[in-house]
Amino acid sequence: MWARSVLGIVSLALVFHDALAFKEQDFKTCSQSGFCRRGRALSQRAQEAKSAWQSPYSVDPSTVSVATDKAVVQAGVKSSLYPEVNFGLEVRIQEDGAVRVRMDEVGGLRKRYDEAASWALISEPSISKNVKWVAGKKDLRATYGPNEVVVSYAPLQVTLYKNGKEQVVINGKGLLHMEHFRKKAEPAAAVEATPAAEGQEQTVIEAPENPRAWFEGADEDALWEETFNSWTDSKPKGPESLSVDITFPHHPVVYGIPQHATRLALPSTAGENPTFTDPYRLYNADVFEYLASSPVSLYGSIPLMHAHSEDSTVAVFDLVASETWIDVSHSTDRSTETHWISESGILDVFILPGPTPDDVFAQYAKLTGTPPMPALFGLGYHQCRWNYVSSEDVRTVQKRFDEENIPMDVLWLDIEYSVDHEYFMWNEKMFPDPVEMINDVAATGRKMVVIVDPHLKRDNNYPAFTAAQELGILVKPKSGEGEYEGWCWPGSSSWVDFFNPNAWDWWKSLFKPYQLEGGKWSWTKSTEDVHIWNDMNEPSVFNGPEITMPKDNVHYDGWEHRDVHNINGMLYSNATWQALAVRSDPPKRPFVLTRSFFAGSQRFGAMWTGDNLGTWEHMEVGVKMVLSNSIAGLSFAGSDVGGFFGNPEPEMLVRWYQVGAFAPFFRAHAHIDTKRREPYLLPSPYKEMVTDSLRLRYTLLPVWYTAFRETSVTGKPILRPQYTVFPKDRKGWEMDDQYYIGGSGLLVKPVTQKDVREAEVYLGEDEVYYGYFTGETYRGAVKGRTVSVPAALDQIPLLVRGGSVVPTRERPRRASGLMKYDPFTLKVALSKDEGARGELYLDDGETFGHQRGEYVWREFTAVKSGKKGLRVSSRDLGSARPAEAVEGASPALTSYDRENKYARTLEERDVRVEKVVVVGVKAKPKSVKLEEGGKELEWEWTPGVGSKEKKGGRAGVLVIKDPGVKITQDWDIVIL
Amino acid sequence: MVPWLLLALPLGATAAAGSDKLLGVHPSALAKYTPTKSNTWKCLDGSKEISWNAVNDDYCDCPDGSDEPGTSACPDSRFWCKNEGHIGAYIHSSRVGDGLCETECCDGSDERPGTCPNRCKEIGEAYRAKRDAELKIQKTGSKIRSTYIAFAHKERKRLEDLAASLEKDIVAKEKEVEKLREIAERTESLTQAALDHKRQSPLYQSLLNHNKALKSLKREYKKHADKEKQLGQILDSLRTGYNPNYQDMAVLEAVRGWEELAGLPHINDVKKDGEESSTPEPESEKTEEAVDDGLWTADELDSELDDLIGTDYTSLLLEHEDHINTPTEDSLLFKITSYIPDAWLPQYEAWKDNFVDWLEKLGIVSEESSGSSTEATRAQQALTEANAELAHMKREKTESESDVLKIFNPEHFGAEGEWKKLDDTCINHEVGDYTYELCFFKEAKQKPNKGGSNFSLGRFQSWNKDARPGSPEYYSKQVYQHGTRCWNGPERSVVVLLTCGVENTIYSVQELEKCEYQFKGTSPALCLPPGKEPQNHEEL
Repeated sequence: MWARSVLGIVSLALVFHDALAFKEQDFKTCSQSGFCRRGRALSQRAQEAKSAWQSPYSVDPSTVSVATDKAVVQAGVKSSLYPEVNFGLEVRIQEDGAVRVRMDEVGGLRKRYDEAASWALISEPSISKNVKWVAGKKDLRATYGPNEVVVSYAPLQVTLYKNGKEQVVINGKGLLHMEHFRKKAEPAAAVEATPAAEGQEQTVIEAPENPRAWFEGADEDALWEETFNSWTDSKPKGPESLSVDITFPHHPVVYGIPQHATRLALPSTAGENPTFTDPYRLYNADVFEYLASSPVSLYGSIPLMHAHSEDSTVAVFDLVASETWIDVSHSTDRSTETHWISESGILDVFILPGPTPDDVFAQYAKLTGTPPMPALFGLGYHQCRWNYVSSEDVRTVQKRFDEENIPMDVLWLDIEYSVDHEYFMWNEKMFPDPVEMINDVAATGRKMVVIVDPHLKRDNNYPAFTAAQELGILVKPKSGEGEYEGWCWPGSSSWVDFFNPNAWDWWKSLFKPYQLEGGKWSWTKSTEDVHIWNDMNEPSVFNGPEITMPKDNVHYDGWEHRDVHNINGMLYSNATWQALAVRSDPPKRPFVLTRSFFAGSQRFGAMWTGDNLGTWEHMEVGVKMVLSNSIAGLSFAGSDVGGFFGNPEPEMLVRWYQVGAFAPFFRAHAHIDTKRREPYLLPSPYKEMVTDSLRLRYTLLPVWYTAFRETSVTGKPILRPQYTVFPKDRKGWEMDDQYYIGGSGLLVKPVTQKDVREAEVYLGEDEVYYGYFTGETYRGAVKGRTVSVPAALDQIPLLVRGGSVVPTRERPRRASGLMKYDPFTLKVALSKDEGARGELYLDDGETFGHQRGEYVWREFTAVKSGKKGLRVSSRDLGSARPAEAVEGASPALTSYDRENKYARTLEERDVRVEKVVVVGVKAKPKSVKLEEGGKELEWEWTPGVGSKEKKGGRAGVLVIKDPGVKITQDWDIVIL
Repeated sequence: MVPWLLLALPLGATAAAGSDKLLGVHPSALAKYTPTKSNTWKCLDGSKEISWNAVNDDYCDCPDGSDEPGTSACPDSRFWCKNEGHIGAYIHSSRVGDGLCETECCDGSDERPGTCPNRCKEIGEAYRAKRDAELKIQKTGSKIRSTYIAFAHKERKRLEDLAASLEKDIVAKEKEVEKLREIAERTESLTQAALDHKRQSPLYQSLLNHNKALKSLKREYKKHADKEKQLGQILDSLRTGYNPNYQDMAVLEAVRGWEELAGLPHINDVKKDGEESSTPEPESEKTEEAVDDGLWTADELDSELDDLIGTDYTSLLLEHEDHINTPTEDSLLFKITSYIPDAWLPQYEAWKDNFVDWLEKLGIVSEESSGSSTEATRAQQALTEANAELAHMKREKTESESDVLKIFNPEHFGAEGEWKKLDDTCINHEVGDYTYELCFFKEAKQKPNKGGSNFSLGRFQSWNKDARPGSPEYYSKQVYQHGTRCWNGPERSVVVLLTCGVENTIYSVQELEKCEYQFKGTSPALCLPPGKEPQNHEEL
């Protein structure tokens, strides 16, 4: 019996592994994609030609026109290959010093797609009025601060210099190539078809030697039609791809271009011994059971790349919406060369000059926006599964969480809530009382998130489909007539075309939880407590090429799907976001989760890393992927805790919850074939460990919320990898398994390996760090130092950087909203210089009142006072920096009212500081007094090491009990 | 129910004292919440001495959280809600002051004054009304249950009687078998030699070979048919249960292919404008296979092949001999007289009459045709049949006896036999496109309402293994396992959760995990007479 069951397990495991396989054959490699093949061949020829290679593109000096009132220069560009074709170049210098380089074909047969910017950018960037372009004989120059931008004429090259040093070079390798629109040559067979006169001499046409072969290759390669597996792309517009090389001569490491399952510091794909043999691909795709290390494209694309060195961080943002492949190589260990190959669209590249990572974040945020303040519940714990099968099931799950006192904010419903996968339409046999069910969940301050996918079942009784059909807003097939039909969850489906302006108002109307006038359908069987999950928006089409739409499908205004593919998913979550924002009056902050994304998606909610596997490898790479998204603007990110596929063992689940508790978006999710694995189902002691992680998340919500405020205003990421905090420290550049939480000073290194019980944490500075739970001191060094931190299964390697004040709420409750009047605990971690600083930001967490000044923003400091004394203070930041307190205020706030509605509520409810913990206090104080009133406070001191000592051991800790101060109030505690 | 009433008295007294130091303290612990003379207080675990002022001051001083029974300051302490007018209850400290008015703390004592009205009166009333209703159900149910118990007793009686009467029949049958054996042995010895010779006939030998071939063919045919059936089941479950998330067009094509082959309608298909849901009937008309003249049809093969294989070749051999040796002679049995010395004839005739009479009685020979040469085999057959009947009777008797033992076995039909009544009783519940059938102690099934094959969800395996046999918890859960295997998944199984109710019903079916079902239902068999249930350890 025993032997048999063991055998059973073994064979099941085999089946499982067999079934879990990335379907390589479903997705193209570069060599299977015509334009990528052409682009790489071009690069190959250039390499072979070495110094003889010269770009055929040049600026025609006679056409240069320099604007007088702002930093814009325009010029005609010619290619020696096709002298009859005209290109127009425009280079702008923006107010913040970023450089925008645009090039398009002028007067061609057709128009290249040029609308990606209108979807990705928050507004047209302001152009500098102070910087002046100077036109010379060989080039154009603009100088500002340490920067100089040079546009060389022949060959065309755009270079950004900083202090005379090349930072970014466009077309330095001569790989720029914009394939112009052309007419398809008549096939030679046509000659035969015409009856040739008898006896007439057959003229043999010798193919003349192709003068462009040195650049374009001798043979035409897949210019007009292309077949992959059983799909043929008709390519009616012919070739229109765009190749451009971007070099960072003095930057040895690059980051970004999510989404790929790989390291944060991008491994090479070209040059000598590349890690990957294919380029990184950006082509939003529903990749089933993706590999944990691969350059293959995934669900979303952000064509932003940071290049980093000791003294400079720069970035390029290649604003193109079509399929793009990016090769990364290093010709020396100090430089990086990249080659970007896109299928269509204009050249629209932004050079972000830095010079620090924080500057790059700000420059990028200025273009594509920041994440808005999230609804507070969105930062709580999300419990999802495919699927909670009935309202009874939903109620039972909620009850079990409450019975075990495990915090949870949101219960999710995957696709099976809907009848026949017609989203919005409840399966009333399983969910007979949806509104009552939602209200039952909301009664404990919780929310529900329900999935709404972009494919509509072609069913004439499905109101969403029939309305979309009637409005004519469905994506069209290549004929441009009728509706494209593809296969997805509900079977035969069609897709709403959000490029069509008519789609937006209609989509907004669907989410109204009340009956609309005129009898139009809206989702009356929902409430304001329902938020939305947008999945499958790459779009995923089960029977389409590469599981997505044919590229020759037609969108609004005649654009092909190939032109807009990578922004398609963003439009969908954008539309849903707006629909939720306006469904209530006054509007409330929506929560929308999206799987597909593009540059700018950070404005429309959270993303997750898609259908990961329940393996240690995926847990590990998930952290890296979230970091990569963070530095590319999309901070509100996370991976499915537990892994979507598979049945994780308890140890893995415990570690995964620890990872999840330190990701901005914290959701557990599981595939329909998996065993249930809600935290309360775990046996002891794992259940308690997971519960502890969840409670820790809730006690740290003030930290997360405060970090979001900073992100929403500055664009600095929530999760900060080592290089962004210590840009000069070379040892930290490749690190992608430890990171800081906002500006809180918390440094975490989640364990993502089995049986690991100790973590090596790198401290990149000469500063003291403290174990968050233990108070153990760890000392860094000027040159960096690695320290060992205990990591038993119930321990998360979590340190507090000396010099930080961490505000927490130590009363985790059932849901985040129930903690809004709870008191705060301040953890003051003294630096080696015996100081500390921290912030706390609060608002109501659900409305847009913060944009009208309804918030509380505090600063806490600890400074030396006298010889041995210390002063811990609370000050108002809202008054000090009203203009930079919150995002989205229109008009911008210029002052702060300390008596604002929200602040008053906190005062009325006596929201206070219940405890101040000062860590790193060497000697027992003589007295601890609240300066206001001079009252001696109750306190307790535990002996230990002081913050400025060199030795290790437990820190001395001073715990001050209930100082009797409100959170909204200025106060000073004097420790002598 | 009585204890809380008793508690109301001392509670009232302390409430009058009006000290919020005692907020959230359980009455039994009140004595522990008194200050020392120096106005200090010791944490309940003795770990720390704190100022009495620090008790319930909304700051957690004690490692065990005992200093804050009335606030949320300590993470894992409990708050006692008095709930006068209802039942007192503990709530977790995380619920104190969270702004929610939970039913568990109907007096609202855990919230800031004015936040939650005291709803204990109505909640208490509702609770009691619900309890009364449940009690009524329990009473009615327990009456039904007692009829089940009576049934079990009757059933035991019936089975015992059956066993007794079978015992008698068995004795008679054994005698009969004895006689038949005697006859068979005698006839056999008479004919064995001749028969052996006849069996050397090439025709007979060839027939045996044909028979073997037929049997082998049949075995192979059956194997294939079984495989085809299994394949059909696999494909059916693939068709109804395939997971479109795998986005696997190969699976989709397999499903479509199977539908075409098996004449099934497209699943997940989209109705086109104005189209009625497609009915497969017209297509599924069976096209008669053309069969060569004289050859058997599939149905005939199914029904008649066994008969053919079961042909008694010995009889056939003898009949064959009779047939070619026309005109007929007296059968051996009658002709034997010619070999018997005259002196023995009278005894022989007497024996023969007796013997033939037996044969006639048993239907082996008819009076008219007595004299066929197959008596030996027929006698053998009669013996075999009688033996089979005997074995059947014995088996039935053993079963009855073991059933009797099961009836009052706590691990089977309950100590009082209250579940025997439900043995093989089937109840149904319809959810969505399926009807779920539960036949107690037998099998659970899923039957599609729109046609298609049934799936077994499992056969009865056990009661609640986590509970003590005989306890109410033991009978509140049944496990059915090893149902039809899911495509790419486990064998289907069901957990049936039962509570007391006046009817045997299933009211909820949920597939909480793939192919693992949960049925919720009621049965009177779980309704213990009120007051007789085992002690509930309600915290009062």
